[in-house]
Amino acid sequence: MNWSFVLSNAITLACIYGTLAIGISLTWSSLGLVNMAFGFIFALSGYGAWLASLNISAQPAVVMAAGILTGALGGLIVCLLAFIPIHDKPNFPLRALIATLAISLVGNQALLWYFGPRAKSLPRLFGNWNADIFGVIVTSDKLGASLSAVVLLTLILLWMRSSRRGLEIRAMMMNPHAASIVGIGVRRTGFYVMALTGSLAGLASVLLAQTYYVAPFSGITPLVKGLSIALVGGLGSVPGAVIGAVIIGLNEALTSTLLGGQYVLITQFLLIILVLLVRPRGIAGLLDKAREA
Amino acid sequence: MTDAAQPVWIDPTDCHYPEAPAREAATNPYLSHQVTWNETRAFKPRMCPVGRLRYYYKWPGHGGALWWRTRYWPTRRRVLQIRGEYNPKTKRREKTIVDKRPIWWALAFLAMILAPAVVPAAGWNTVMSAAAVFGIYAAINLCWMLIIGTAGIFSLASYAVVGAAAYGTTYLAIQLGLPWWLLPLIGALIGLAFGLIIGLPAMRLDGFYYALLTLGVVELCRVYVVQSREFGSATGGIYGAPSYLPASLGQMPRLLFSYYAALALMVFALVVYRFIDGKRLGRVLRMAPEKREAFAQACGVDFVRARIMVFLISSTALGSIGGFYACHFGGASPNLFSFDTVLLSLAMLVIGGIGRSEGAVAGTAIVVFIDRVLIDLGPLRYILIGAIMLGVVLFLREGLFGIKRQFRTWRDKKKSERRATRAEKGGEMLPEEATETEDKDQIYFRRFDKMQRDFLKRLITDAVIEEHRTRPLGQHSEALERLLIYFRRQGQVDKYAIMVLEEFRAYRIVALSGHRGTAPRVVEDRNYASPDEAYHALFLRRVQDLLES
Repeated sequence: MNWSFVLSNAITLACIYGTLAIGISLTWSSLGLVNMAFGFIFALSGYGAWLASLNISAQPAVVMAAGILTGALGGLIVCLLAFIPIHDKPNFPLRALIATLAISLVGNQALLWYFGPRAKSLPRLFGNWNADIFGVIVTSDKLGASLSAVVLLTLILLWMRSSRRGLEIRAMMMNPHAASIVGIGVRRTGFYVMALTGSLAGLASVLLAQTYYVAPFSGITPLVKGLSIALVGGLGSVPGAVIGAVIIGLNEALTSTLLGGQYVLITQFLLIILVLLVRPRGIAGLLDKAREA
Repeated sequence: MTDAAQPVWIDPTDCHYPEAPAREAATNPYLSHQVTWNETRAFKPRMCPVGRLRYYYKWPGHGGALWWRTRYWPTRRRVLQIRGEYNPKTKRREKTIVDKRPIWWALAFLAMILAPAVVPAAGWNTVMSAAAVFGIYAAINLCWMLIIGTAGIFSLASYAVVGAAAYGTTYLAIQLGLPWWLLPLIGALIGLAFGLIIGLPAMRLDGFYYALLTLGVVELCRVYVVQSREFGSATGGIYGAPSYLPASLGQMPRLLFSYYAALALMVFALVVYRFIDGKRLGRVLRMAPEKREAFAQACGVDFVRARIMVFLISSTALGSIGGFYACHFGGASPNLFSFDTVLLSLAMLVIGGIGRSEGAVAGTAIVVFIDRVLIDLGPLRYILIGAIMLGVVLFLREGLFGIKRQFRTWRDKKKSERRATRAEKGGEMLPEEATETEDKDQIYFRRFDKMQRDFLKRLITDAVIEEHRTRPLGQHSEALERLLIYFRRQGQVDKYAIMVLEEFRAYRIVALSGHRGTAPRVVEDRNYASPDEAYHALFLRRVQDLLES
């Protein structure tokens, strides 16, 4: 078994799934919305990137930008349908969860209906070369995916730390009620957050499409992985999501090396259940008080 | 007194000097001082010609007829809960059914039993197999409703329990050659074991953490089943379980038989639902709704235990349904674990309304009809289901069966809004202000004052002002006299007064401060040559203030 290969694979996947997990985590903590339509946004942005690569140009920047923009658009659609109409109505968290599930059902079937069941493949964004890092051979798509995920995530986190909008989002994460009292528009911030997390899903979609394909139901596995990572790390915490991504990635690499590929999900869920039994709000989640939406 | 429109007032004090003609002045027509009082008390809401009260006689019942009740063995329950009341309009005694659901259930059962007779022959196969699927899914959804609605555990793994039981029983049946009636029993054991495993984290996790975890469990089961060789990764499922159908039956009787068997399964699930939700466990859990768990715990309600009990019982029932599923379909397929199955069945629960058995059954009927009968629509039918689900979630609080309550809440809100717009406020105290005041006389005084001002405003006419201009002092007509009395009676604070700058030369209007030692303030920068002019100017000022109040 080639350890370096497995490790590099795990790190790449961890980067991509971590991006998704941060998106899920941000949405939950700032809006109180568990976005189950993330898989749909993921698939939608994959198709957006594919259409752009066919119709506009196959330049890596164009394809990536198209994926990210389509993801943001999908996030806005979800926000318009599942957040704006019911965010002040009774029983919002449950209804929002079900609404996003319904959006996911409709959206995935619409994609299937429009594009057909055949998988599409994106052009290779990062060329076709290998790099040698400390004796480990890393293919270009893995290196490119990890690097671009890390760079874009860092940019977004910096933006959240330093800009006015980021301040608003962080205020919403701390206490949405108090944020609305001091004049931060809940709906407006909802649009920012959903566009941002949607674009994260779009980024992850484009990056993952380097290894896999774009298909109507390709979003479900990433959604489940992202949810698991967000759960382990603690919903609402960005460092937690990073830690969770590393843990899940390591687990995946170790299990597939030592036990075999079909046991990955089993060990993963045993790990998640173990972590959650010890810390019910995840590794870095707030222990005592969940977000009361 | 020739002109009725403009009556003339004759000064009565002039009778002391009969040699001179009496002074006359144009004045207002008589206006009763009761006018504002009558207007305030008038019933102003716009009434529709349709009566608000039910006048018809609903159901005769009085005395013995009311108390005669059929009770069914072995309980002392009544078949229908009937209450005696009075007709709100005619005050006659009548009976009313408090809870009509048993009637609807009875009608629905009758319809389900008779349904095969009216199915068109062209779509017999499709419709009858869909109807059998409806029975099984309704049973599953009822158990799931117990978990989500009664226990409040948002688990998405119910179909995973069913699937695990179906896979397990089929596997065992193939390996050991079990008869079909053992399958639901073994399935119940598997369901219990599975429920124990996935119910364990539910004690510590809450809400969405648990939902997300169970979603992951479903995905885990699907991936495991798809990859494992003994569970039929190659054949797309595992088949070969014994069927409960007698071997001698033809095609049509087989479908009919399986439909009634599925219906019996649904009745079994309904009984389970009734005996958990309506008995002690359900009571305990209704005491501890979401966000009020701490209160329930402080009252000594062990709701965690009750939740886990409900979860385990439902899982056992789900497992036995899984065994039946294996008998019915002759095996199990990975489709049971797919994300779409979870979504569709959640749609069934949500459309009907979470927390009610009729919601689970009706939602299942709707979704299964769209999914299995309207096959020609293709993927469009999922979009239709999703759109219905989205619409229900966005517009309805508790699904289709909550429409009545939601409509009533909305209607009551509208009613109270209209009532609020009808109530006028002019200087009257608002309710919150009224509760704060020490002196409750103030409330009534302000109300009286408001009515009085409304009345006095109507007395102000050109004729009255002209009368005051010609003779500010002395006897006045009734209208003017009322106005002046009201003005004189006002408090000292900011009361207008006339200051003499120079006698018979210059007068000025000031406003008293109302406090000893504080000088009056000058109101306007104008001198009046005579006292009468000053009096009249002051009167106009007060009139203006009154009209503006």
